[in-house]
Amino acid sequence: MKKLVEIKDVCKIYNPGENEVRALNHINLTIGEGELVAIIGQSGSGKSTLMNMLGCLDTPTSGKYFLHGHDVSHMTDDEQSDIRNREIGFIFQGFNLIQSLTAMENVELPLIYRGVGKRERERLADAALNSVGLEKRKTHRPNEMSGGQQQRVAIARAIAQAPPILLADEPTGNLDSASSREIMKIIKRLYSEGRTVIIITHDPGIAAQAKRIITISDGMIQSDIINPDYKED
Amino acid sequence: MGTAGEYLKSAIASIRNNKGRSLLTMLGIIIGIASVLTVLVIGDGLKATANGELENMDVLTIDVSVDASKTDKCFTPEYMAAVERSMGSSIYGFGPSVTMYGTTKGKKDDYDLYFTGVSDVKRLTAGNKIVHGRYFTRDDVDECNYVCVISQGAAIALFGYEEAVGETFEATVGEKTKEFTVVGIREDTSQDKAYAGQYGNDPMFMPDTPYTVVADMCDKDVNNMFTSASVYVYKDNKDAVEAKTKSVVENVMGLRGESAIKVKSTEGMDAVSETILNVITSVVSLIASISLLVGGIGVMNIMTVSVTERTREIGIRKSLGAKTSSILTQFLAEASILTSIGGIIGIILGLLFAKLACMAVGFGFVVNPVLVAGVVAISTGIGLFFGIYPARRAAKLNPIDALRSE
Repeated sequence: MKKLVEIKDVCKIYNPGENEVRALNHINLTIGEGELVAIIGQSGSGKSTLMNMLGCLDTPTSGKYFLHGHDVSHMTDDEQSDIRNREIGFIFQGFNLIQSLTAMENVELPLIYRGVGKRERERLADAALNSVGLEKRKTHRPNEMSGGQQQRVAIARAIAQAPPILLADEPTGNLDSASSREIMKIIKRLYSEGRTVIIITHDPGIAAQAKRIITISDGMIQSDIINPDYKED
Repeated sequence: MGTAGEYLKSAIASIRNNKGRSLLTMLGIIIGIASVLTVLVIGDGLKATANGELENMDVLTIDVSVDASKTDKCFTPEYMAAVERSMGSSIYGFGPSVTMYGTTKGKKDDYDLYFTGVSDVKRLTAGNKIVHGRYFTRDDVDECNYVCVISQGAAIALFGYEEAVGETFEATVGEKTKEFTVVGIREDTSQDKAYAGQYGNDPMFMPDTPYTVVADMCDKDVNNMFTSASVYVYKDNKDAVEAKTKSVVENVMGLRGESAIKVKSTEGMDAVSETILNVITSVVSLIASISLLVGGIGVMNIMTVSVTERTREIGIRKSLGAKTSSILTQFLAEASILTSIGGIIGIILGLLFAKLACMAVGFGFVVNPVLVAGVVAISTGIGLFFGIYPARRAAKLNPIDALRSE
């Protein structure tokens, strides 16, 4: 299995000095291509910081982060934006859709920032929305859709430009159980299609659906196991 | 990186979503631009009107005077004729200008008269557009004929109709009363209108009459009367004529080497009044610019609010790969659109106000395209200048913090 993500001895310290908070404390972690990983931890465990680090939204205080073998730990804002755009598809707990834009326009956004031409952009966005079953909702705005539908738009946005990594932060946190099951089904399908999926959650029920489960607390990795109960759908 | 079209689209969408707020912001710009433009255009109109009569004329004057402390000689009719002969066709003529105050009994009322005694060549200068009859001639001057040219307004006031050529009136100057024959009617100038009682003052008319008539009325010797006179010259010849006037006049009058002759040319507009006009225009535009500044601060304020409100959106965009420049462009586009639309409306309103104001006070309405282009540039510039601070703030937001905000 090829290494996709490699984190070496990463620390993240907030408020350096007397009241410093070690959100990440010498973390080492490797994730290969095509894995389905859950990172589970309580709030304050450092899992959000880890997710920000993995998503190139933040840089480590010390240590190195290699993505595709490239050191991405100390980059400028614009370089980080570029990496996020090409490498990472985000799925957030709060969906994070832009309210003034339609489903289609939301999905097109990362493609705009990538500089994809209008026709190709529409084709890709169309395909992504179709793959999450929202053929009939393309011109709807987020406030005209249910939570489950909004999250499906967000997934379409994350996969539209085919990034190698899908980073899902509590993807079902704001959803009822029926919608949750549906979203998890889509996420697992995306994994089975060959994508690397990283799910950050505090919910053992969600984590149990992953193939590999990493438990984090106090900024350190407590356990990193292959899920014995994992079964392919 | 996306295309400029996408940023524009997004900026327009954001303006649409906040119609009321955008409109209020634009209002500041509209008022600012409109008031600056109105003031500047009215200023231009005022200058154009004041300059108009002089600018339109092709005949200028060069004033020549004798220094009374150096010589007793005056500009006699003989000397003046000799200067004209000597200068030949390079000038139109050489003649004095003298004023005389009198009164006349009109049909309804008594009127004040302010005669200008001149040579016939004055007909070539601005403000002497003869609409009926003719200007008086050199013969009228030489023979001391009691003729005059009056304005349209004077004709109507004195005789009740405009085409009053051939009519006569009696004018009293001091103890003397003489009958004058009207030989020509000239178009009213702004000065005629000003003195004809239009602004509530007592009406006064300003007929032109031969200088010999003035001398006769005032019991003065025409040969011992004028220490100054004017060369009437075509504007293109002015410099050449001005250079030789002094020596020609000195030769004719036998005053060589006595430095008794002074030559001074009259320019289009009095430099002092030009300066005053410029000062007034700049002071008023300064005041108007302050409203433009306030408008600009309004833009900055609204953009700051917009950035604060849309922090989360900015976070989302950044997490999806928007670069600093993308966000900056988006917000600057928004600010520029706001100020440009405001600027265009402001220009339309400004020109409209200026047109109305110029019509009301009788100024010419002159629109300088450079001025309008400048105002457009200023309004877009304000958008960019005052938009940059909030746009930079938006672009520099940390995506994690931005995503966390509600």
